[in-house]
Amino acid sequence: MVERPEAVVVVIDMGTVTTKRKNNVTLSMNKKLPILLFIFGLTLSTAWAQQDDTSYKRRVLETSEVDLLFSYYNQDGVHAAVTGGEGTEELTDATSTIVLRMPMNEDDVLTVDVGLSAYTSASSSNVNPLDGGITVSPFDASSGESRKDLLAYINPTYTHNSEDRNKIWSANAYLSSEYDYFSIGFGGSYTRLFNEKNTEITLSGRVFLDKWNPVYPIELRDGFFDDRITGPGTYNPIFTEFDTETRNSYSLSLSFSQVLTKKLQGALFLDLVSQNGLLSTPFQRVYFSDFADFFIDDFQLADNVEQLPNNRFKVPFGGRLNYYLNDLIVLRSYYRYYWDDWGITSHTASLEAPFKLSDKFTLYPTYRYYTQTAADYFYPKEQALSTNEFYTSDYDLSNYNAHQYGMGVQYRDIFTSASILNFGLKTIDLRFSKYDRSDGLNAYIITLGTTFIGN
Amino acid sequence: MAKPIFFLLLLIFSSSCVAVREYDKVYLNDVEMQLGARASERFETNFHIYREASSGANGGKTGGGCGCN
Repeated sequence: MVERPEAVVVVIDMGTVTTKRKNNVTLSMNKKLPILLFIFGLTLSTAWAQQDDTSYKRRVLETSEVDLLFSYYNQDGVHAAVTGGEGTEELTDATSTIVLRMPMNEDDVLTVDVGLSAYTSASSSNVNPLDGGITVSPFDASSGESRKDLLAYINPTYTHNSEDRNKIWSANAYLSSEYDYFSIGFGGSYTRLFNEKNTEITLSGRVFLDKWNPVYPIELRDGFFDDRITGPGTYNPIFTEFDTETRNSYSLSLSFSQVLTKKLQGALFLDLVSQNGLLSTPFQRVYFSDFADFFIDDFQLADNVEQLPNNRFKVPFGGRLNYYLNDLIVLRSYYRYYWDDWGITSHTASLEAPFKLSDKFTLYPTYRYYTQTAADYFYPKEQALSTNEFYTSDYDLSNYNAHQYGMGVQYRDIFTSASILNFGLKTIDLRFSKYDRSDGLNAYIITLGTTFIGN
Repeated sequence: MAKPIFFLLLLIFSSSCVAVREYDKVYLNDVEMQLGARASERFETNFHIYREASSGANGGKTGGGCGCN
């Protein structure tokens, strides 16, 4: 297989953008952030303490590398799930991530991926629309604490390569925390290269043990009272709190990559994913067609929160195909088919055409198309019946398609002629993407990534 | 839709198991030919996981670890 020293490191990405978060962050994060930082520091000190080996064997990774990544994301739409499928989806998110790759010896690499993500969200502020907004409306953000949150995570991965570099083992862990969600995970993988490294097979497994700290819409909480409620009769939702607060995810992944010609190579990916536990989001409202409507100002009070099954089985299957067209252009393509037992199928296709402007600069336009069918349990606002077993008005589970257009520019200097402190600058990657969804959601994201290597 | 694509990919991969020698991999070793996603692409993948019902089959996250779908 093609020599790809960075590709052998398994890195689990963490979600950074969400409207499905909530509430006052300070107390929880103040407790958990020091723990994450302590683990991070301990890992680093252990890693550097073991870099004294002076063997002459070629290392899998010659020197330490550091990736610094930043992103800014913005979205807007009119189908917020927090307000039952109708309301502002405005959200901004800023994320910083550091990825350290350190050679532990000739054969082993430790990767530590740590990040912090901060967001403000108009829709999640409407979990409690009464805590600061002047106008109480699903299309206005509340200024209360529920409009912002902070996510911190750490994801260490240890990789071991065999003497002949044809076998690779890795183990990884994962820990993340935000106000209403805590996750711990672990996994491992085994990779085998053969056919003169023209063929590569990887089998990997992961487990996430997540826990909600459920936060419900303000009007459904015990003791709620407001004398501004208007509507026929007495406001009487059918809400009861969820019994289960855990969410477990188990995945088994198989990937197969193959060199096809001197200029063409591809890969196939198959995942089997099983989830169980609380798969509903506790603060996403639903309005029934057979219930009377009650309001505070312009804000409609919930009839219940979404109810989704406690199990879900997903099967995504995809492939990549890269072709070296000529010394100027490479074509990078990707396709995925997805099926799950909630009734969703989807197709994803993307194409990227990096164009080499010079030895150091590459311009790469990107395009991605996505389409999905609706979940069996999706109903637009006021269309679900209270007698249904499962229902949601989350438009992320609706029928739609999306186009994403992007452009990136990359500076790459393998000789690292520029340096900062004791680190040489290897790459700078700046990209911008615009995302348009057929249900009206629009978003854009700007990403800046840099890679430094130790001298 | 999915079946024809699956069999097309199967055909390509099963009929093309050539052994390209290391010294012939100059094009394949080009950084743009890497089969993984770019490091800077991870944040886009993250927001896709939140905003879309499907995930996985890209060598990355398949679900769990977040309050997303």
